[in-house]
Amino acid sequence: MNVTVATAATTAATNATTARVEIRFSAIDKFFHRRHLLDDLSLSLQGGRALLLSGENGAGKTTLLRILAGLEKPHHCMVDFTPAERHSKPRPWVQCRRRLQREVMYLHQLPYMFDGSVSHNLALALPRAMPRAQRAEKIRQALQWAQLEAFQNARAKTLSGGEKQRVSLARAWLRQARILLLDEPIANMDGESQARTVKLLHRLKNARAALFISSHNSDAFRHLIDHRLALENGKLRPGQCPR
Amino acid sequence: MPSLADATVQALSLLILGDRDLWEIIGISFRVSVTAIAIAIPPALLTAFFLAHLEFPGRRVLISLFNTLLSLPAVVIGLVVYLLLSRQGPLGDWRLLFTQTAMVVAQVLLAFPILVAMSHAAFQAADQRAWETARTLGIASARAFVMVVGEVRFGLLAAALAGFGRIIAEVGASMMVGGNILHYTRNIPTAIALETSMGNFAQGIALGIVLLVIAFALNLSLQYFQGRGRLSL
Repeated sequence: MNVTVATAATTAATNATTARVEIRFSAIDKFFHRRHLLDDLSLSLQGGRALLLSGENGAGKTTLLRILAGLEKPHHCMVDFTPAERHSKPRPWVQCRRRLQREVMYLHQLPYMFDGSVSHNLALALPRAMPRAQRAEKIRQALQWAQLEAFQNARAKTLSGGEKQRVSLARAWLRQARILLLDEPIANMDGESQARTVKLLHRLKNARAALFISSHNSDAFRHLIDHRLALENGKLRPGQCPR
Repeated sequence: MPSLADATVQALSLLILGDRDLWEIIGISFRVSVTAIAIAIPPALLTAFFLAHLEFPGRRVLISLFNTLLSLPAVVIGLVVYLLLSRQGPLGDWRLLFTQTAMVVAQVLLAFPILVAMSHAAFQAADQRAWETARTLGIASARAFVMVVGEVRFGLLAAALAGFGRIIAEVGASMMVGGNILHYTRNIPTAIALETSMGNFAQGIALGIVLLVIAFALNLSLQYFQGRGRLSL
């Protein structure tokens, strides 16, 4: 089963200089307690495109996302970082693990906040060598971007789930993450928090980030996603474009 | 033989009046044990972190081994170090037997399993998302490790205090490899053993009071840090 998110027309990208990223994964296999959880999956992620992954609990959605992020070892997987190039050659996942961790950003269902303020948590997404003044300005912009100005000095661990998710997205924005894997990003949120989170995801997509969202709530993302996939019995089934 | 009350009064006066020999022994104890715990902590933290976060063949055996070593008597450690450092031993040419360095070596070996076992528990209790979030933020492994250490710092501090508590009060290993030499390798526990055998109960009790105060302070700190270390999301 090979599902590819086709290249779309130019998006309303805020950063026109950003190259369109693409990563192709193929032959993904994962067994879990002798069960073939992921069965020879192939998948391509492209900048500026949003993909929604649905599936029942235990279908393997989180496992798939974690494999793509370089966090969980598959039994087999090939990765091609530059599939559009003439000399591109897929390489085994093990050889690409560090690069995946570096280039693909995985956002947990419950984002982890480090001990310290919201500003401190945002600063972690910036290079350490960045001058202090520039760092402070970037953090100010990120707080504004995620509408978190009021929480600048709040202890990040005490924020609500929705607020933590916005901090997490602001870190992705600061890091200029080009591939984002989101595991149930709006689970257990009220309507307003969901809308704010989806709005930020729109902005990231417009900045040419590739979004791969695992969620049971496809309706909330209907204006964001370009393609829908369902994970059933270890296989990816293409769904209808929601628009 | 003086009564316990008389000996205790004499002991307190020795401490308060600043008996030179007594405070020298206390100083040697702290110098040796602080050095030992400082040497043992970095490799113990790394070992505990790898045991908690890496899957490799023999991992469970290693964890069981460190847990078993927790109950290893100090005299056995002393015996092993003695055999290693004695003239006929493989490290005999280093001439370290009956020196403070030998005591440090023995105490490092004593503290190491405690530090590993307790730090391992702290790292295992840590949220796996901390490491993953750090890595997915593009943070290098070494800095991500420091960040995870920061997240479980209270548990690790508790491990360090427990390790220090064990080595400052142990007598067997220090006696065997230090030799209990006055002004050089005589520390609090070996001095208590010697003074008691010589009938100098006041000095023994004075040093016992110091150990009791240290134990109380360590336990109080342990309670405080373990309370502070409760996980919050």
